[in-house]
This record gives sequence, structure tokens and C-alpha cells, in this order.
Amino acid sequence: MADDEGGKEGDKKIVHTYPLVKHTDMKEEMRQEVIDLSVSVCEKYSSNYELAAKTIKETMDKKFGIYWHVVVGEGFGFEVSYETENILYLFFAGNLAVVLWKCS
Amino acid sequence: MQVAKPKEGKQKKIRGSKNKGEGGGGGGDADDFDAWMKSRQLIKPDDQLDLTEAELGEEVTKVLTPTNTNVLRNLVVFSFKEGEYVSAPMPGNTVTLISFPGNSLHVDSEEARIQVEESDEIGYPLPMPNYSVVEQRETVMEGEEEGEGEGEEDEKSDIGSKHGHIAGEEEEAEEEEDEEGKATEGEAATETEAAGEDEEQGGVQQAVATPGKKRKLINQFNYCERATLTYVNPKRNVDTQTIPPPRSQFGANVLQWVIYDTYMEDYEEQQKTGHIHGDQRRRSTKKSFKKKTALAEQLNRKYVRCWQILERMINQNIYDDIGNDYRYWEDPADEYREGEGNLLPLWKFQYEKTKKMNVTEITFNPSYYDLFAVCFGSHDFLKQPNEGYLCLFTVKNPSYPDYIIQTDCGVMCCDIHPHYPFLVVIGLYDGNVAVYDLRDGCKEPMYVSRGVKCKHAECVWQIKWGPDMVDGEINFYSVSSDGCVFNWILMQNKLWVTTIITLYLENGIADGPDGTKVTLRSGGSCVQFHPTDTAVFLVGTECGLIYKCSTAFSSKYLMTYYAHNMSVYRIDYNRFDSNIFVSCSGDWRVKVWEDMRADPLFIFDLGSAVGDVKWAPYSSTVFAAVTTEGKVHVFDLNVNKYKPICVQAVVPKRKNKLTRLAFNEKLPFIVVGDEKGVTTSLKLSPNLRIMVKPPKKQLYLDQLTLQNAKLEKLLSLVRELPEGSPVPDAATTART
Repeated sequence: MADDEGGKEGDKKIVHTYPLVKHTDMKEEMRQEVIDLSVSVCEKYSSNYELAAKTIKETMDKKFGIYWHVVVGEGFGFEVSYETENILYLFFAGNLAVVLWKCS
Repeated sequence: MQVAKPKEGKQKKIRGSKNKGEGGGGGGDADDFDAWMKSRQLIKPDDQLDLTEAELGEEVTKVLTPTNTNVLRNLVVFSFKEGEYVSAPMPGNTVTLISFPGNSLHVDSEEARIQVEESDEIGYPLPMPNYSVVEQRETVMEGEEEGEGEGEEDEKSDIGSKHGHIAGEEEEAEEEEDEEGKATEGEAATETEAAGEDEEQGGVQQAVATPGKKRKLINQFNYCERATLTYVNPKRNVDTQTIPPPRSQFGANVLQWVIYDTYMEDYEEQQKTGHIHGDQRRRSTKKSFKKKTALAEQLNRKYVRCWQILERMINQNIYDDIGNDYRYWEDPADEYREGEGNLLPLWKFQYEKTKKMNVTEITFNPSYYDLFAVCFGSHDFLKQPNEGYLCLFTVKNPSYPDYIIQTDCGVMCCDIHPHYPFLVVIGLYDGNVAVYDLRDGCKEPMYVSRGVKCKHAECVWQIKWGPDMVDGEINFYSVSSDGCVFNWILMQNKLWVTTIITLYLENGIADGPDGTKVTLRSGGSCVQFHPTDTAVFLVGTECGLIYKCSTAFSSKYLMTYYAHNMSVYRIDYNRFDSNIFVSCSGDWRVKVWEDMRADPLFIFDLGSAVGDVKWAPYSSTVFAAVTTEGKVHVFDLNVNKYKPICVQAVVPKRKNKLTRLAFNEKLPFIVVGDEKGVTTSLKLSPNLRIMVKPPKKQLYLDQLTLQNAKLEKLLSLVRELPEGSPVPDAATTART
């Protein structure tokens, strides 16, 4: 449906590709770093979400301690427990959602 | 040990049994053997064939071949690689049943022989001097004989393994016999084994004790192990449970339309608040910048404070001797000099930028006794610099001023407010006045006179803070060469100026151009307020007159003193008796006056122009003056009415001149300023500050009363009755 609407509105529709944080409780410094990381990785592996998720997870594990979980995809649902101040729910490139959280 | 070719072994056995069966074919040895055998019953296996003699005598031919007939020669294995059966490689002839690498040596071998020799030389390879160990070794040997047939008993191993057990026993018995034979106590050889064992100990002891006996090869595995169980520390578990890090729950569904909607919302939001955002950002950056600068400023102040303390400490160390003199030096020579004193130079205060300027005013801060303000300008009216300075020095730091105020023309005078010690007012050569707040830094004046009308027309000569107005406004007075005395009030945001008095000359009406008359003014050169009557003040003029005026009315002088022939430079009221004042002038004279008395009480000629004169704060009869000759004159009228008690040249006569002078309010030292921008501090010797000793009958009198009495006594001597009027005793002693 979304595709159909997009097709109809064709001219009007502006495709936003900037990273848009939907939900987070991270501290400012960490958030900025994580957003930058997610964006750069998603751009790098734009066709392989699995590899993108894996790369983000491994980098996060290195930078902020282990047991990060990353989901990259266009459609999914999730309900997670996470260590407070360690979640980021981010939209990117207009059709991509990235969820990162830490839970050990 | 490898057991190879079992077939052959079998064959041997078969032969062996055949030999047995044959019986008597053997040698001497065999006879003994048979003797043994007879006493034994042979056990036959159940499935043994019963053969007749003929059958037994039949020869069975066995052919030994080098090839193994049991080996499979046509064994094939399916090869997946080639997809067909391929013949497997031939297995070797060797069959390993047991592999047991050992380190036993045959007793006859070369190596064994070497070992025996070595052990003869060195002793046992393992040190075992303990008898019980030796005994143990022997018992172990017994067991070994049975199993392996090693050691000496190997000699008999060729008899056959089946005899092993018997041979062992026999051997032991033999051994016993051997030992006992050597022993001094003979024992029966037919004793039982157990008995032999019992006595073995003694026998072994002797065996060891008797050298020359052939040593046995020892078993290297035969050793004694000793161990001790130490105390095992008990283990204990201690654990703590910590609070787990807080957790939260979050869930959402990611759908394409959710993403799209979110982007659209955010975009709209941005469109709306875009401009505001921008502004806010700019503002916030500005604010943050301001904040940062403010912080930096604060930090700088802290740093400056630290550096100042450090600077003072360094100075204190450098000028340690001067510092000690300043506080503690009392000239011992004064005891032997009647009525004479001297001055001890202490520090010199100067500032790099004011080296060529004149010191135009020196004032001590009324609150901080060690802090004093020095004005820098010029008294030479042809060489006015286009800058001026007010520096505040402290005796705690002689090397650099604590505060520096720079102006764009020479500073001629200044005053520090008695109640607000941070308020400094300065008068400039161009007629302007400015008020500075030392707490706010010294960059910008708090108040400054502006405009042509709100300023003096000529050089401001002296400036004095007045008592606060009725409504609490702070104000000051200034006197200038233009003949006006102004009162300046510090309003909320500006200076409010009023003219107190204009110094018209009496009968000074001159003819102006076009038949007009011009009233002549005399230029004011100094001003001094009465210490107790705040409305009354004295103004010295450039023509040598001193006017006594009041702030209450501006047209009339209370008194006119025809004091000097040249400009009056400074006037100072006595600290104890406010009816007495002293004036100095360019006509070389210093005069002491009494209020409302036209003639001076004392006149002193100092031989050159007198720049400044001041009463001492500690004595009613002491005052000091500085001259352009570079000398400081100190008078004590109580000691000498005609001559100064100290005349001391402070600066070279030809090159430099002294301009101003100030007494410290608390400590016995003065500061004098010269024309080269240098301020010198001088300590007064004890003779220059003689206090009044109370008479024996009136010990309760305090110094103030005594000082007043001293002055009064002195004055009564010199006072002349003015013509036609009684002595104003009541007036002069009004305060006491």
C-alpha cells in the first residue's frame, strides 16, 4: 500500500534520507557516535542488511561493551528489554529502520 | 621387549617336551632335573591325545619357510576414488603383540658391567644407607626373580621359565646359606623360610658391614618415598549481590508507512520551527560565547591573584633586609643626638611608563594603610605629555603597581574616598575629572566629566571628596586655575556639577575691551577642607592668597590671608587642633597659621620652592616639607622652633626635584615623589616622632590630650595679641 501511495503522489513525495531518531534514551555523546556509526555502516552495506547488522553489532560491542543486539530491516516488530540508556531506534534512508539495544 | 615369530617359539616348546619325553638323553644337569621332576606329577590337559609309543616315535616333518603362508595375498579394497576394487598392499610379516620398552640390562652385557664398576667406585647410584631400605630391596628382588628372572638369577634363566619359582626359592636359600656361612654365628641351613626371614636382618647387617662381597645390581626403581601432609587452609566463599543495572522495555513495529509518516512529521516540524531554530541557535552560541568569556575572565582573575601573591612573596624575599628595616630599625644614634633625627630610605617605587613624568600627588588609602596612590603628570607647562597615569602601589610589592589607570593627559591630583576606599577621583590637566572604581578594573572610568561647560577651563589642581550629601549622594570638590571651585555629585548615570565659589579678586576690576569691565579672578591652586566643620574650606591661590570659604555661600570669603608672594602649593590642617594649619609656597616659605589670625605664627624659609607640606598624624607639632632642592625638611616645633630637626637630601640637587609628600597614617614612614616619576619611602628615626610623656602626676592622660596641651603651650609662647582684640583663648581651645 505504501508503495502505491508513493507512486500516486510521485511528484509530491519528497524522499527523506537523513537519519531520524524515533526513540532513544542515550546520552548525547553516545547517541551521536552511534548514529554516525549506523549511518556509515548502512550506507556501506546498503544491499546486505545482515552484514550491516553484524558489523554494527560487532563495532558496538567493541566500543560500548558486549551484548549489543542490532536489527536492520524494512519491516519488523520488536519488544525488547534493554539496559537503560542503551537503546536507539532510528530511521534511515527513507525505508530502513535500525534498532540497537544492549542487554547482557 | 618384542615377541616375534611365535611359530618358532611353539616349535621350541614342542621340542622341549619331546626331550622331556625322551628322558635320559640329557647330560649331568638333566639327572638333577629328573630328580626334581620325579617328585612332581605332570598335569595333562584334557584334550591331549593319547599316543602310542610308535605314534610318538613317528617323525613329523615340518618345513620352515621364509614366507608367511597365512598372509592374504589377494586382498582387495574398493577405491571410491577410482570407482573399482584395487588390490590392498601386502601386510608385513611382523606382528606386534605387545610393546614394552624397558630399561633392564642383561647382567653380562657391557653396559651392566660398566654400571657395576661405577657403583663400586661411587657406591650405589641411589644413596641408601638405611638398613631397612636394603632389606626392603632384597624382598623386592625376590618378587622380581619370579617375574622377570633378572639380576644374578639370570644365570639360571636358561633352565626355563617353568622352573622360575622353584629357582627363586632355591636361590634364596642359597643366599641365606652364603651369608650365614660367613656369619660368626652358624645357623642350620634346614631352617624354614620364615625363620630365615626373621634372622635375615642380622645377616644383612653383617653383609653390609663386611666389605669385599660382590655387590648386587640395584634396581633404580627401588627408592623410598617420603611425604608429609601439611595443614590445608580451609576455603571459604564470600559473595555479595549487587544491584543489577536498571532495565527498561521498549517495543515498536517497523512498517514502511510508519517510517514514511515519521519522516513527514519531522519534516513539517522542521519547516515550522526552522527559522526560530536558527535564531535560537545563533542566540545560544552568542550566549555561550559570552558565558565562556566570563568564565575565562573569572579564571584570569584567579590566576592574577595567585601571581600577585607569588610576586609579593618574591619581593618580600628580595627586599628582606629593607622589610626588616621598615618594621624594626630604630636608629640607635638618635639617643645621643639631642633634637636631631634622620630619614632612612626604604624602597623606591617606580613604573616603567612613568619614568619621565612628575609625581603630582601622593595619597594614602584611608582603609589600607600600605596602599597609596601616586599621580603622574607634569608641572612643566611647556612639556605636557599626552598621557597620564594613576598608579596604586603597596609597600608589600615595591616592584610593580597594584593598579594602573591610564589617561590621555597628565593626572594632576587625586583623592580616595574615606568611606569607599575603592572610589578614586582624579583631576586632569585639561580640566576634566574622572571617577574610577578600582573593583571594576581600571580600564574605563565610572564617571567622567563631559562637554565644555561641565569641566574646568584649566588644570585641576586639587580634588577632595566631600562628606556625603543629605540624601546620601557621593560628591567631591575640585579647584582649578580658572578660579572656580566646583562641587561634583555622582548621580545615577552622570556627574552633576555646581559652582561653589568663584575666586574673584577683591578690587580686581580691570578695564576690558570696548569700555566693559572685567572682574579678575585668581587661579586656585589648592584646597583643604576643615576637619571638623565640613562646610569650611581653605583655598590657596596662584597669587599667594589663602581664602577661607564656606560651601554655604558663594559670594563672600570668611577670611583672606595674605599668605605668600607666590603661588600657594599646599595647605594642611593640623591633625589635633583644626584651628592650626600650615601652608607652603613657591616663595620658599612655609608658614603656620592660626584660624582667623591674619599673621602667621611661624615662618620658615627653606631656601627653595616648597612643593608640599604635611602635618604628621602622630604628633601635633611635627610637620614635613619637600623642596625643589631635593630635600626633605622635618620640623618639630616642640623641639626647635627655629630650625628643622632634620634636613635630608633624598634626590640629587641639580638633576631632580621633590614635588609631593605623604605621611603614612599608621607606621612611621613617609613617601616623597620627585620629578623623575620615582616615589621614595623614608623611615622616620625615633627623634622625629617623639611622643609626649605624661607628667608623673597625670599618668591617666591620653596622648590626644597631651598633644593638644603641648601645642597649646607652644602657641601661647608665640601668639601675639592682635591689635585691639583680646586673645581668642576660647576659640583655640574649644576642642579640648
